[in-house]
Amino acid sequence: MKPKSYEKLLEETAAPPPDPQARVLAKRAALAEFNRVHAAAAAQQPKLGFFQGLSGAFRHSRESQSHGSDVMGWNSKSRMLAGAASICVAVLGFAVIWPMMKNGDAARLLEKTPAESVAVEPVRSDVPAAGPAASASTMSETPAIAATAPAQTPGTAEAASRRSADVQRPPVRVEAENKVAQSGEETFAFAPPTEAPLAATGAVKDERAQQDAPVAVDAITVEDIGKLPDTSANEALQRVPNVRVDRQPPADPASAAPPKSREADSLNEVIVTGARGRSKAAPHKGVAPPAGGGANPFEGMLARRANIAIEPKAAEPPEGRDKFEHFDLNTVKQVAEGENRFSTFSADVDTSSYSFVRRQLNAGILPQKDAVRSEEMINYFDYSWPVAESRERPFRPTVVVSDSPWGKGRKLVHIGIKGYELDARQRPDANLVLLLDVSGSMSSPDKLPLVKESMRMMVNGLKATDSVAIVVYAGAAGMVLPPTPVGEKEKILAALESLTPGGSTAGAEGIELAYQLAERSFRKEGVNRILLCTDGDFNVGIDNTNELKGFVERRREKGIFLSVLGFGQGNYRDELAQALAQNGNGVAAYIDTLSEAQKVLVKEAGASLFTIAKDVKLQVEFNPATVAEYRLVGYETRALKREDFNNDAVDAGDVGSGHSVTAIYEITPVGVDARMIEPSRYAKEKAPAAVSGTGGEYGFLRIRYKLPESRQSQLIEEPIGMERKQVPETISRDVQFSTAVAGFAQLLRGGQYTGALSYDDVIKQALAARGDDPFGYRNEFVQLVRRAQGARGM
Amino acid sequence: MDDQALIRKAQGGDANSFAELLDLHYDTIYRFAWKWCGHKANAEDIAQLACIKLASSLKQFRFQSAFTSWLYRLVISCAQDWQRSQARHDHDEMPETETVGESSPAEDRIYLTQLLEQLGELGEGMKETALLVHAEGMSHAEAGVVLGVSESTISWRLHTIRKHMSKSEARQSSNG
Repeated sequence: MKPKSYEKLLEETAAPPPDPQARVLAKRAALAEFNRVHAAAAAQQPKLGFFQGLSGAFRHSRESQSHGSDVMGWNSKSRMLAGAASICVAVLGFAVIWPMMKNGDAARLLEKTPAESVAVEPVRSDVPAAGPAASASTMSETPAIAATAPAQTPGTAEAASRRSADVQRPPVRVEAENKVAQSGEETFAFAPPTEAPLAATGAVKDERAQQDAPVAVDAITVEDIGKLPDTSANEALQRVPNVRVDRQPPADPASAAPPKSREADSLNEVIVTGARGRSKAAPHKGVAPPAGGGANPFEGMLARRANIAIEPKAAEPPEGRDKFEHFDLNTVKQVAEGENRFSTFSADVDTSSYSFVRRQLNAGILPQKDAVRSEEMINYFDYSWPVAESRERPFRPTVVVSDSPWGKGRKLVHIGIKGYELDARQRPDANLVLLLDVSGSMSSPDKLPLVKESMRMMVNGLKATDSVAIVVYAGAAGMVLPPTPVGEKEKILAALESLTPGGSTAGAEGIELAYQLAERSFRKEGVNRILLCTDGDFNVGIDNTNELKGFVERRREKGIFLSVLGFGQGNYRDELAQALAQNGNGVAAYIDTLSEAQKVLVKEAGASLFTIAKDVKLQVEFNPATVAEYRLVGYETRALKREDFNNDAVDAGDVGSGHSVTAIYEITPVGVDARMIEPSRYAKEKAPAAVSGTGGEYGFLRIRYKLPESRQSQLIEEPIGMERKQVPETISRDVQFSTAVAGFAQLLRGGQYTGALSYDDVIKQALAARGDDPFGYRNEFVQLVRRAQGARGM
Repeated sequence: MDDQALIRKAQGGDANSFAELLDLHYDTIYRFAWKWCGHKANAEDIAQLACIKLASSLKQFRFQSAFTSWLYRLVISCAQDWQRSQARHDHDEMPETETVGESSPAEDRIYLTQLLEQLGELGEGMKETALLVHAEGMSHAEAGVVLGVSESTISWRLHTIRKHMSKSEARQSSNG
């Protein structure tokens, strides 16, 4: 039979009627979202004065968060609440926030004394019975809720006991949160499964209370991640949407209510588990709190933690679809073979590989091999290589030779350089354009919400004379904020706060618009940079990668640089981010947690934003008289040809203020029986006699760089001496630590060249070389190695 | 109450009005989603996403275009987001099995699914264009507003589609 014409087919084929249940679910999810959105707008207003008074006591990001929310409330056209409701909300807000203020400490306490949290439990279990003051005040206005309340007693008791079963729960968030939680559950979990409940204004108000909780709660979740040495909170950012399903009796009609959420992944989970419409979204800052009320983010988080312990499979984040450029490891090279004695590569100050690996390991998964770039792992850490004295000659190379811990008889040559550090007064003004992906895929908490947090932190660290503009791309590209001096910080923060994810990623003009703005407010003497924040769904209109690179490269000539900050996972296109940043004279960083944002955008803002040297190339020429073989650890993706070294037209990596770059060679000295490559049977191999005067050298280091505004490269040279130099203790410690990191990276890549080295050895080395570790990064590294021991392969 | 008044009230935060708005438009959303993907359960998913999206972005509706145009655009973007997430996540989609008591003959729906697939392969915006014009009965200008392209682009796309379809039809009939 011939089918109808396609027009007829389109026109006449009728859809089967939708499942009424699906309709109800969709509507309920939408209404929950609706209430959340409007509650968010309305509830913030009364808290304005309150927060301003207290903000000093808050930790940095929380301050900015509440601050941002104020602005949002300010902008909102929503009507003010009636006076009583305002007070009620303020009280609730306080009740929620106050324990939060302490929560950081509490979490730490918990690490030491798990018993304490158990001790606190009874207090919490009492709460529902006591009839919490906050929710009572809400109820007094909302007969609808009061009416349903009595029927709930058994349910709330059950909920409470369920909570007390969570022994791991940090102790402090307690009463207030529970109050909110209860009030939330009262309206939601026990509302009859009709379509009506939202009609009651009470529900709306209650939503407000509810809405406060997840927001504040999530702020902590995000913030504390990475700060806790064992990163126990890290799972909070891993999306494990199907966890709640296990905890909810499927028969509970209310649990069927939560939105499948905009989060695509949870949608997927729904299908996978067959529990269509019943899954819970992971705790979301941006998305409607599911029916369970304010306590959900915690419960979800804890459930997830517990779940991971029992069955890691359940905690599987959508990994594996992140794209990494494949590269082969550097091989061992024989110095005797002519050209081979030259090793040339570009500096790389990116660190995204480390953050990505950390994230995967924290989820209990070994990262894919191509995600492990040894040099980025090594360069993640700050080393105490001596700093150059002047801006004109911004590097002073440090060369240290030590014994290889994984190859008997072999040596490691560390080459460390640290970029000159500009102090605050020397910093040029910055003209920054934030190009933010706000597509629907950015809605999960580790994406747009984290982007906003991060950007807020960065803006707070800028000078008043710097300027910031914001361009978003999604369904349509648009300028959210014209170039605005940081002196008017309020405006910038308000604009950031107003961003919501939505639309598909297709902002054709996004990147062009960003460059236009950067040109418009171009600062000849300053730094002009575009910061692109994306989860990898990177479609800025020019979709041919090479074309895009070319575009970025041409703008680079005009003095506008591009840095790429990657967020989220599941769809991260690392290779593109890397390529763009490299072509745009910028860094590519991967931001998985707020503390990583702190590191990249605040602590190392100088390095990320202010380039002190561009096109930095390194070349080592090994001395065939003394070195038989060598192997460069990492820098595979940064290799250059020998002739590129002196060619100033060839682009290479840039080094920012205070950035350190470390390269490690493993060499086999002549005469040591540790060679990897068999000597040839036919070609007579004989170590050539040393050129006079160089007999005591393993090789010769050359560094080429250009000053930021120069087109001509400069050269720094330094011989690599054979004798062991006496180095300060800080340096020998850093040599050892970077060796441990290099060992770890190589193990993750398969341990092809590391002999019998084991994770335990790495831990031992790292522990011995931990030093002061004021920010805990090195401790975290040790934890990661431990996790790698227990992780399963992908 | 007409759409406009409802929307204004909903934008002001009135949940009742929003609920009413949803009631009025759920069927449109679902039906369009169904034509977009040809699969009931997926259409329900898309429709739900669209409803949630509607809740969060209704405030951004500025009455500059017809609400339905705006709504179609929203549903399309949800559908595309949804599809992207599907492409990323699973490949074990179960084909739709229920055939009895449905409103269209089963073979029509199978043809439709094939057609949608073909249209999807024609390039970005093609499927949407065909759906808006042929299934929803929009004029080229209206479809242009929804998709954010000019009227002539729509005409060109339809022309391309027609050309492609007649070619593939010719191929089919010559084969059998």
